Order: sequence, then structure tokens, then C-alpha cells
Amino acid sequence: MTTTLLPPVERPTAPPARRRRNPRDRRSTPLTVLLWLCAAYFLLPLVWLVIASTKDNADLFSTFGLWFGERFSLWDNLVSVFTNRDGIYGRWALNTVFYALASGGGAALLSTMAGYAFAKYRFPGSRALFSVTLGAIMIPLTALALPTYLLFNTFGITDTPWAVILPSLVSPFGVYLMRVYAADAVPDSLIEAARVDGAGEFRIFWQVSLRLLGPGVVTVFLFALVATWNNYFLPLIMLNRSELYPLTVGLAQQQLASAQGGGGSQALFSTVITGSLVSIVPLVVAFLFLQRYWQSGLAAGSVKQ
Amino acid sequence: MKKAPRTALAMATSAAILGMTLAGCSSGGGEDDTAGSEPVSQADIDEALQTPTELTFWTWVPDIEDEVALFEAAYPAIDVTVENVGQGLDHYQKVRTALEAGDGAPDVIQVEYQYIPSFTLTDSLLDLTPYGAADISGDYVDWAWNQVSSDEGIWAIPQDIGPMGNLYRSDIMAQAGVTEPPATYADYATAAEQVRSATGSYISNLPSNDPAQVTGLLWQAGVRPWSWDGDQTVSIDVNSPEAQEVMTYWQDLIDRDLVGTDADFNDAFYQGLSTGTYAGWLTAAWGPIFLQGTAEATSGQWSAAPLPQWEEGQEVSGNWGGSTDAVLSTTENPIAAAALAQFINHDPESTALFANQQFLFPASTELLADESFTGSEVAFFGGQKVNELFAGIAETVDTDFTWLPFMEFVYSSFNETVGTAIGDRGDLVGALDDWQAQIVRYAEDQGFTVE
Repeated sequence: MTTTLLPPVERPTAPPARRRRNPRDRRSTPLTVLLWLCAAYFLLPLVWLVIASTKDNADLFSTFGLWFGERFSLWDNLVSVFTNRDGIYGRWALNTVFYALASGGGAALLSTMAGYAFAKYRFPGSRALFSVTLGAIMIPLTALALPTYLLFNTFGITDTPWAVILPSLVSPFGVYLMRVYAADAVPDSLIEAARVDGAGEFRIFWQVSLRLLGPGVVTVFLFALVATWNNYFLPLIMLNRSELYPLTVGLAQQQLASAQGGGGSQALFSTVITGSLVSIVPLVVAFLFLQRYWQSGLAAGSVKQ
Repeated sequence: MKKAPRTALAMATSAAILGMTLAGCSSGGGEDDTAGSEPVSQADIDEALQTPTELTFWTWVPDIEDEVALFEAAYPAIDVTVENVGQGLDHYQKVRTALEAGDGAPDVIQVEYQYIPSFTLTDSLLDLTPYGAADISGDYVDWAWNQVSSDEGIWAIPQDIGPMGNLYRSDIMAQAGVTEPPATYADYATAAEQVRSATGSYISNLPSNDPAQVTGLLWQAGVRPWSWDGDQTVSIDVNSPEAQEVMTYWQDLIDRDLVGTDADFNDAFYQGLSTGTYAGWLTAAWGPIFLQGTAEATSGQWSAAPLPQWEEGQEVSGNWGGSTDAVLSTTENPIAAAALAQFINHDPESTALFANQQFLFPASTELLADESFTGSEVAFFGGQKVNELFAGIAETVDTDFTWLPFMEFVYSSFNETVGTAIGDRGDLVGALDDWQAQIVRYAEDQGFTVE
């Protein structure tokens, strides 16, 4: 989802001493052009998606992709998105929200606790454990999907929501981020003071440290939320019942049904495209409102203070 | 159904599938199941069908619940859960993963013809002979039946087929002075030149990513590119003189820029069909309905005809797509599962529903001869009786075409060799040699004896 990260808004903070110099003079034309190109590169697919959602199947293949077709069919498409197969799209959307919130919340909590422990406690094996955690960042979830499936199958929890949520609770990157964040955000002296006042370690974590870790927690939550929202391979492997699918798998299934030809195929192109548009709207909205958390999360640990 | 255009994911998953096939292969060992082919008595069948039973059926066919409902109405004790776990390679991967895991596998699955051997190799399919399947062998077009059965048993019941024909834009052809559909490939080349010079359109598209279509065209030309003895011996001959002849023909059309070479089932391809960049499509019996959904704006301008022939006066076609229903050997309710696979593909009401509601082109000979199916006049094709035409073509498909137990690899290897050569407008005959070499090397690596 990094594609929707917009370039940071430029706020000219012209220092008073340089007032005579117009900040405009410092603009670099090649850089501006380059940034515009980058913006276009990231935004064009989105523009295409919005425009394509207003076309029916016939217009989709006979008119120019980046301009509107002869008929405006957005409403018809939306209706077909929510009525195809008895409105199973709505079910998929609810599943996605549920999986993403549960995974995001769980991952944020676990990462915060682990990261805080790594940052603030010295215990035997902490370095080794942290190295393992760092190494785990390198292993994509996709590579673990099949072994995880076999493991889960032994416990009989494949084809249940647990199969999607449990693996998503583990976020090595979140642990790393929270360790870096906790190291800076929670002063050791504050913990010492709390201990002197007689607070137990759990109480210190819940009532003192967690408050200070707020922005970091939200960042990890968002990362995990988006990762689960966009996760395709894990639910594809784990789930068999359509009514448990998240949007990613459901839409891919609809898309395949139209893209394979063969008997019984349905031309659902405009339905799938409009469904994709609807599926990213919540994420785009979340990004616009929560931008500052992303930036603070990305900047955490970048400067040694 | 035709095989999915391969995406990066499909490539990755097919590697995983093959890994699993091989794991199954090495652990499966012998295939001596002759003890199981004792006919099951009618009393046992009746009893099983009246015992409350739950079946799981993995299929991607839309609205197949309607046919399953007919089955449940006929056998109220049996409750079938239909699950769509994906289509094509995704589906097979999930079936194999579940088989590998030991439980969670369904009772009945949808399988395309070309992938049946990859499941019989691992002894994963139930021989349906003892459950009455032999009695209905004459009710399906013979070449389709040959593909679901072998000397060892009957592995699946045919559902739909895809005998190939030629769909073309009669308006563009007429503009180029071509009033009759080309009867031979020589005529087809001449027509291609006229169409190109008069209208700028390609006569059709030879896709760079569709091994199934090219295999169908080879099938029509009498090429037998491979065979398998059901055990450990395969023969591979994809660069035979006959295959080279077919490829030399297409090479000529490609070199003269008379056919398109776009990947099919994606944007450029759909645009080509709906804007007249292609004046035709050598496709299968499911093509006419598919085309209506994607090229609506050209309704009424299309016509259907048999494929051009290699020799004047011949009537031969190949097959592209179609699928079957098979019972997994791990099922705990073999009688009920076999009854489901047979009922939905044999009961006249059910097969008619498949043909007229889901537009699956039937494999049932009774339905192919039924006036209510063949008689329908399709407005998209200017009122032509398209079903009647393809029902006739279904009779002309060569009967002894078979498949290898590792078609996933054969198809992905096609895309790397011949497919790439088509897309690059390169050397097709040379690419056939590469394809041959890759398949032989793979087969040997997997422990097959290559003859």
C-alpha cells in the first residue's frame, strides 16, 4: 500500500534571516518534473480504476482507458457488486474488516509488549531473541503459508477465521519498530521513578509506558491492519468456504471466473473493477486521516537523540 | 474450462503443486487397485443413498447449486455442501494440499480433462466402475469418455466439452470480399491476406500464452504430442514432423503480419475482439457465449463455422477446454459421491440445466441431439443455430488424444518456449525443439522413462 503514500506536503519554512530571498528561487525544475512524474506514476492506476468503474463491459474494451465511456454505469456496477451471488460481496467486506481489525489490534498489542521488553529489560538471551526477530523480518508470510497450513490442519483450525488471524498476529517488523520507539519514548528514569513509587512492572507497562507509546502502537496497528487487509495468499490457502473469504480472495475468484473463458464463465469485469474500487476506499480514507501516525512511525529511530 | 492465463502467482503455485505431486508419487507407489473393481450391489447402493450423508463438492462452476439441488431432491437423505475454492490451478493446489494434509479433502471435485492423469498418478481418484459408471459410458461423446477412462478404470464423469470451431466477423470478411468461411488452411491464409489488405484487421489471434488452444489446433492436425502408459513410461513428441508443419503454417502468417500474437484473455485481446482488430477467433464451443459477454457492441455481426481443414474435404476438429466431476479416493462415502458425480452429469434435467442456464457445452450425446438445445437461434450470431453447428463438430473430434500426468509443467514450459516465440514473432519450429527438450528433461528428472 506504499503506493498511496503521497509525497509530504511542502511547507516552506523560510527563516526570517533569508527573507530577502524568494523561496521560489530555490525550486529546481528537474526535481519538480521528476516528482510530478512519480505522482503520476502512482496515481494513474487509481485514476484508471475510478474511470473504469463507470464503464460497462462493452465500454471497457472499446473506449480509451483513461477517459469516460459512452455510458455512465457506475450505479449499475455498484448494484451488481452488491447483488452478485446474493450480495456475497458485503459478506467479504465484513470479513475483511473483522480480520484486519482483529489482526491489527492483536499484532499491535503483542508487538508493543515484546518491543518494550526488548528495549527496557535485560534478560538472558535477549540479544539472540532479538536477532531471530530481525531475521524473521526477512521471511515473507507467503513462504510460511504452506507449512502453516499443514500445522493448522493438525489442530483442525483451517477453514476458520483463526487460520487467517493467528498468523497475522505475529509482526516481527512491529516488534522491531516498537523496540526502537520504546527505547526513545519511555525514559529509563521514568520507569525508575515508578518503581521507587512501588508500582509493579505490569502496572508500569499498562499505566505509564503504554501512554507514552501511543503513536507507535497506532503505527504498528495500521501496518498490521493494511497487511491483513491486503493479504491474499494466506486466506487463499487457508479458507475453502466462500462465506469466509476476505475481499482479496473473493475478488480474485470473481476475476478468474471472467478471465478464464471456458464453459460457465461470466463476464464480470465491470463488477470486479468496481468491487476493487469499493474495497480500497476505506484504506484511502484511513490514510488521509491517519497520515501523521505513518510519518511518525516511519521517522521513529531515524535520528539518534 | 480452459486453463488460466499464467500469472506470477500461478507459476509459483504450480511449482508447489508439482512438489506435492511428486511427494504423492513417491509415497503412492503401486497402482494395483483391481481388488476395488468388484461391482457394488444395487442393494448396497440403495441403502447408502437412503442413509443420511454429508458430501462436500469443490467446484468453480457458477450456480452449480441448482444442479446439486436436483440431486438432493432425488436423494433427500444426502446433503451436499458446494464450495468454490478457486478456479483452475488454485483449485488443484487446494485439493492436493488437502490430500497431503490427510483430511479436509472434499468428496467430489471438478477436474479438467488434461489434469485427470495427474490425479490418477497419485491414486487420488476413485474408480467409478463398480458404482455403475460403466453402464453410462455410451451416453457421452466417445472422445470425451476416452479422456476420463483408461484400461484401469473410469476416473471421472464428463460435464462439458470444447470442440473447436471458427468464429468470425462476417461484416469484416465481406468487406474484404470473403463471403464463405475458409474451408482449408490454404484458403484461410488467402483470406487472411485479403482481410489484412482490405480492412487492416488480423484474421485472428494466435495467443502467446495459451498452450490449451495451440494443443487443440495440434490435436486437430492429427499430432499426438505425448502419451503415458499409466505407469512410469511416457513418450514425448511435440516436435514431430506434423507439429512442425502446423507451426510452419502459423510462422508464415505471423511473418507476413496476418495474425495477431497478443496474450489472450486480457485487455488487448478483449479490445481486439470488440473493436474488430481481430476478424475472428479459432475457439471452442464455449466461445460463442463468452464472446457475447465481452464484445456486446458487435452483436449480430458474427458467424460460426467449423475450423479450416488441412486437407480439402476433411472434417476434423480438436478440443479446447471442458471439465469433469471426479470422486477422490479418500472419500468416506464412495457410493453417495459417485452417485452425485453421475447424477448431475447424466440426469436429463440436470444436463439440460447446465447447457441452457450455465451455457456449458454438453458432453451428453442425448442432449447434443436434442432439438430444444440445438435449435436455439442466437441473435449475436445473426440468428445462426450455433449449438447445432458445434454439436456437429463434437462428432468430428479425434478420439485417441491423451494427456501426460504433469500437464502443469508442459503448459508452463510451452509459455516459456513456443509461447514466447509466438509473442516475439520468432522461430516457432525451433521453439518446438526447446519445448520437447524441456519436457523430456523434466520427465526424466521425475523418474519417468521417456520412450
